[in-house]
Amino acid sequence: MALSFPVFEAEELSWQASDKFILQQLSFRVEQGEFVGLIGPNGAGKSSLLRCLYRKITNYSGQLRFMQQPLEHYSRQALAQQIAVVLQEPLSQFELSVYEVISMGLTPHKRLLSFDNQQDRQRIANAAAQVDLADKLQQHFNSLSGGEKQRAMIARAIVQQPKVLLMDEPTNHLDIRHQLEVLALAKSLGITVLVSIHDLNLAASFCDRFILMNNGSIVANGDYQSVLTQTNLEQVFGVKAEIDPHPFHNGPRITFDLDSSFDLDSSFDLDNASNSNRPSDPERSS
Amino acid sequence: MSTQQPAQQGFTLPYPILIISSILLLIFTVAYAVSIGSVDLSLSQVVSALFCQSSCDINSIEQKIVWDIRLPRVLMALITGAGLSITGAMLQSVTRNPLADPYLFGISSGSALGAVTVMALLPAAVISITFGALVGGAISVALMLTLAGRSASHVERLLLAGVAVSFMLSAFTSLILYYSSPEIAATLLFWMMGSFSNSQWQELWMPYTMVAFGLLLFIIFRRWVSAIQAGDESAHTLGVPVSRLRLGMLIICSAITAVLVAHVGGIGFVGLMIPHICRFIVGAQIHRILVMCLLLGSTFMIWVDVIARSLLEHQVLPVGVVTSAVGSLFFFVILKSRSQQTINK
Repeated sequence: MALSFPVFEAEELSWQASDKFILQQLSFRVEQGEFVGLIGPNGAGKSSLLRCLYRKITNYSGQLRFMQQPLEHYSRQALAQQIAVVLQEPLSQFELSVYEVISMGLTPHKRLLSFDNQQDRQRIANAAAQVDLADKLQQHFNSLSGGEKQRAMIARAIVQQPKVLLMDEPTNHLDIRHQLEVLALAKSLGITVLVSIHDLNLAASFCDRFILMNNGSIVANGDYQSVLTQTNLEQVFGVKAEIDPHPFHNGPRITFDLDSSFDLDSSFDLDNASNSNRPSDPERSS
Repeated sequence: MSTQQPAQQGFTLPYPILIISSILLLIFTVAYAVSIGSVDLSLSQVVSALFCQSSCDINSIEQKIVWDIRLPRVLMALITGAGLSITGAMLQSVTRNPLADPYLFGISSGSALGAVTVMALLPAAVISITFGALVGGAISVALMLTLAGRSASHVERLLLAGVAVSFMLSAFTSLILYYSSPEIAATLLFWMMGSFSNSQWQELWMPYTMVAFGLLLFIIFRRWVSAIQAGDESAHTLGVPVSRLRLGMLIICSAITAVLVAHVGGIGFVGLMIPHICRFIVGAQIHRILVMCLLLGSTFMIWVDVIARSLLEHQVLPVGVVTSAVGSLFFFVILKSRSQQTINK
């Protein structure tokens, strides 16, 4: 870690969609090799932040640097060669095979007219083996289970040979074993990972560092002792939380419940406020 | 690795065989289509008419029939089938909509409007119906892009804009037809149902150039188009300029379709169903679908034309009618056998 430098560096990053601030004055760094968890309630701006990082959103204000260069200095292709993104469960109308989905990871590395060579096929096969899908390459992607789909998307990211992996709620809709598997797989790649997760206990058992967001701002940023505190969770999620040592690893275990002293009316208000702030799909309205 | 290899071959092996047999089928189809007609020729006569320089077993009249009437007609059917099929395949891929077809953006109604305008309002000597249809098709595309505007990045809006344009232009066509003579109405109706009857050598260059140009671009951008299959956002993260790519492909597809419609009229079904049939056969890889569409689409179209001109004696059926009838039957059969396969699995 002696030579570490920030992979991402944001300074006063703000973004607004139809005159509503979705992201406000975010400043943070992601160091090389870190596994960072992005946590916060629905509509906190986690997805929007990630979309800024993979340049789906470009009209932000403030500074955003990747590998010490402003993000906008990179070409699409150059970024795609270094940043891989795993989104929530992907959809496909047509029956793509698992092999075809994984091979999409070659896109940023291949010239338009080139054909896949033996080396590329080997890379795809290795990636599939790494995520334990080697025997399912010829199956239809849509016939896979949710966990397998997400593993195939990680294999696609592996083929992309990125320096950074961004994941936007990759564990949604997965059962607990697959949730653990997907994150363990991401961790095993040994690259910088920034992942948004809803499940705090899941985040707690994998992430080195946490960025807690609420209403487009960063509430806390640091290790679990400083972020996953009772007061933070109560303030941001509006729940009563109890934190004790985890029985299986030396991270924390978080137990929560609706705060009975918390009066329901104001909790509804809070819910509505976060709903109206949610970037449901700001591009659509613009 | 050992579990890997046989699976790999499982899908690469049949592909060359499929391609070779499709090419052979196409060659046979062309030869057969040239041989059949009011003057029946044998296949060997066709071959000698095509390749023989001197002392051939075919007289000059038959040679003239082959060269001046039948061959241009068959070649026109070939390029129409091929062009509409690859266009349909590309549109279905870039819009990720299995119901997309070449007439998505009201091109056929635009061309019909152009054609009927020429027929009814201008003497045909000034500009040809083909040219009128071409201009009409171009106008419909321009109108669609203007209507969709900057929202071209959203597939649904593009599709809706296409539907709107289609209805708008059809309304004008109906209006002109309403005030014109029954002969013109009949001519237009026949034109819209599609026909290869009047195909001539000097008309062929434009469809062929256009389809070749489009195919080249499709093949060049195939990697990006396949990346779009898993969603726009996902393609974006792979470095694909999604909106620009989609818009570019739409314009190329529209240009191909407009040229074809202007020459042969509106022939439905081919552009919608052939890509699906090809996808059944060769899987979802875009370049394979394109090659297969090229071969199967042209073969299918030539057979349709053969049926259209030989089903009833001394009468040519509209190609569009035969396409829809034969095609949908064929498609039902495939759909049926496919669903039975999946049930048996």
